[in-house]
Amino acid sequence: MSDALLQVLISGLTLGAMYAVGAIGLSITWGSLNVLNMAHGAMLSVGAYLAFSLATTLGVSTWVALLGAITLGGCIGALIYVLIVRALLNQPAFEVNVVIATIGVAFILENTVLQIYGGYPLKQPVDIDGGFKIGSIFIPLRSVLLMAVGIFIMLAVAAFLERTRTGRAVRAISQNKDAALLMGVRVGRVFALVLGISGALSAASGIMLSMITTLSPGMGYDPMLKALIICVLSGLGNLRGALIVAIAIGILEAFVQFTLGVRFALPVLLLVVIVGLIWKPTGIFGRRDAVRL
Amino acid sequence: MIRKSRTDRITALVLIVVAIAAPFLFPSKYLIGQATLLFIWMLVVIQWNLVFGVAGIFSLAQLALFAVGGYCAAVLGAAGVSLWLGVFLGAALAGIFGLAIGLACFRLEGAYVALLTLAIAQAILVLIITDTSCVVQQGANCFPLTGGARGISQFGDFAFREILPYKYYQLGDYFVSLAALILGAVFSFFLIASPIGLTFRAIRDNPTYAVGRGVSRVRYQLIVFFGSAIFTGLAGGIYAAHVRVMGPNVLGLPLILTCLAMMVVGGLGHRWGPLVGALLITAANEMFKEVPEWQATGLGILLVGSVIFMPRGVMGLFSPATIDRVAAKLARGARTKRNAAIESIHRR
Repeated sequence: MSDALLQVLISGLTLGAMYAVGAIGLSITWGSLNVLNMAHGAMLSVGAYLAFSLATTLGVSTWVALLGAITLGGCIGALIYVLIVRALLNQPAFEVNVVIATIGVAFILENTVLQIYGGYPLKQPVDIDGGFKIGSIFIPLRSVLLMAVGIFIMLAVAAFLERTRTGRAVRAISQNKDAALLMGVRVGRVFALVLGISGALSAASGIMLSMITTLSPGMGYDPMLKALIICVLSGLGNLRGALIVAIAIGILEAFVQFTLGVRFALPVLLLVVIVGLIWKPTGIFGRRDAVRL
Repeated sequence: MIRKSRTDRITALVLIVVAIAAPFLFPSKYLIGQATLLFIWMLVVIQWNLVFGVAGIFSLAQLALFAVGGYCAAVLGAAGVSLWLGVFLGAALAGIFGLAIGLACFRLEGAYVALLTLAIAQAILVLIITDTSCVVQQGANCFPLTGGARGISQFGDFAFREILPYKYYQLGDYFVSLAALILGAVFSFFLIASPIGLTFRAIRDNPTYAVGRGVSRVRYQLIVFFGSAIFTGLAGGIYAAHVRVMGPNVLGLPLILTCLAMMVVGGLGHRWGPLVGALLITAANEMFKEVPEWQATGLGILLVGSVIFMPRGVMGLFSPATIDRVAAKLARGARTKRNAAIESIHRR
């Protein structure tokens, strides 16, 4: 029994790390700029497929493929700003329109991936093998890497937002876009930067996720849904909170899968989210902003 | 305002007459079938527009309500209940579901609602796809209650084949969906023009102020969720009866994208927006039939382009405010040209 519990705990931690990694790119754009990027899931799979193409078609080494895909992911993020978000910035219903437009982007990206690579799941060639055993349970090295990289990126991004000048500009924009603009913050440049960073991190997340599962055009959708749940439950703009919630949700999901069955994982999760939000509408770690009329 | 409602009434009357006459003028099986589906999607998008565009609740669960209505009718039909009764029970069940979803997100705002409703739709989808219960046993085959990933079929239809002469049996579904569409549209028009509609506009434009004036957001949100869910469930039931198969694909993202595109391209919150949008997107989809693999990309581009270049949709292009703005822009353009001309004269 204790073996089973340990197994549940470890698969829960792996799931949690996956969710945390998947949530990074989303939480910085949504949490700090109020841009809910619904193309996030598609960007995860685009990043993973880019690494796949670089490693197989061009035949470059693992690390070059990784770096190349991350760079290209960043370019896609910046491109989304240049082509779409910039045009929407001055619209009164900015937040809603960004969601609608990025749903469109998601379909464009996902369908393009589907047409180029086909719908058949592929194996990610950029991979790390090996692992070790705790008791009788095998722990693959890539899960450990996922967890370590996830925590590292989360903390690095949190430090970037809290400590640097650009981070301060991001926070200023999240509080009041117009006031920040009037204070001399280059809003457009910050948006482009944040979306670029988010694109790069999404690509990295996508590659790591595809190492654990497989490559498929729709692979980003479920991580995105979980990422949304994590961001909302932890409260927007709180990266450390997101990390804690991601791991808690992963363990909860593994536990529900073990006791009730796989199909009830998402419904139970939803129930938790709904109850959590009724209890604290701004999230567990969120703060309530004063509203100026 | 009176003027406007009279134009609306005349337009509606003309459209209804055209819709009644059309199948007799163009008795093409394909066109009538497509028009029936178009009416169903119009009904769905009209109701979604009430929730999203008018009440400003960013719900993405509209097609989940559609599925609830459709599945209820289909499951009851498979159990031997008349589909006519099943459709109405489905609508009622969808109404209850809508009320529950409304209650679940009554403390949330904006994008939070989008996410929660999307997650609810996804949870229903997962529950249906992974359904392996064994409710109906047919020989060695075992059918789950919802049909699982394969969907549910062979639950009959409205039985127009027995009532109507062979040549016209298809018109049964056509007129049923048209009648439902008219009902739903009338509901929408009255709701938008009523004090409830004004309340929604107040809540959408400045929620804090509206609440400060004593408007209860929760109560009106629940009303609109309930009302629109009933009609959406009705649309789902009619869809099930028309297509005669109900599968989990109605909960999939492609359909959400299609309906969203209909709503946004037509004009969010506009009375006529959903009708225009549904017509345009259906026409676009017909064109994409040549290159089916790029349909999703095309719809995505349409959606993005529409949000960027006409944020208020096609109907927004015809609103007085837009016409004024375009006129002002043209005048400004003329002014700059004139100034440039003057400058060039001075430079000489």
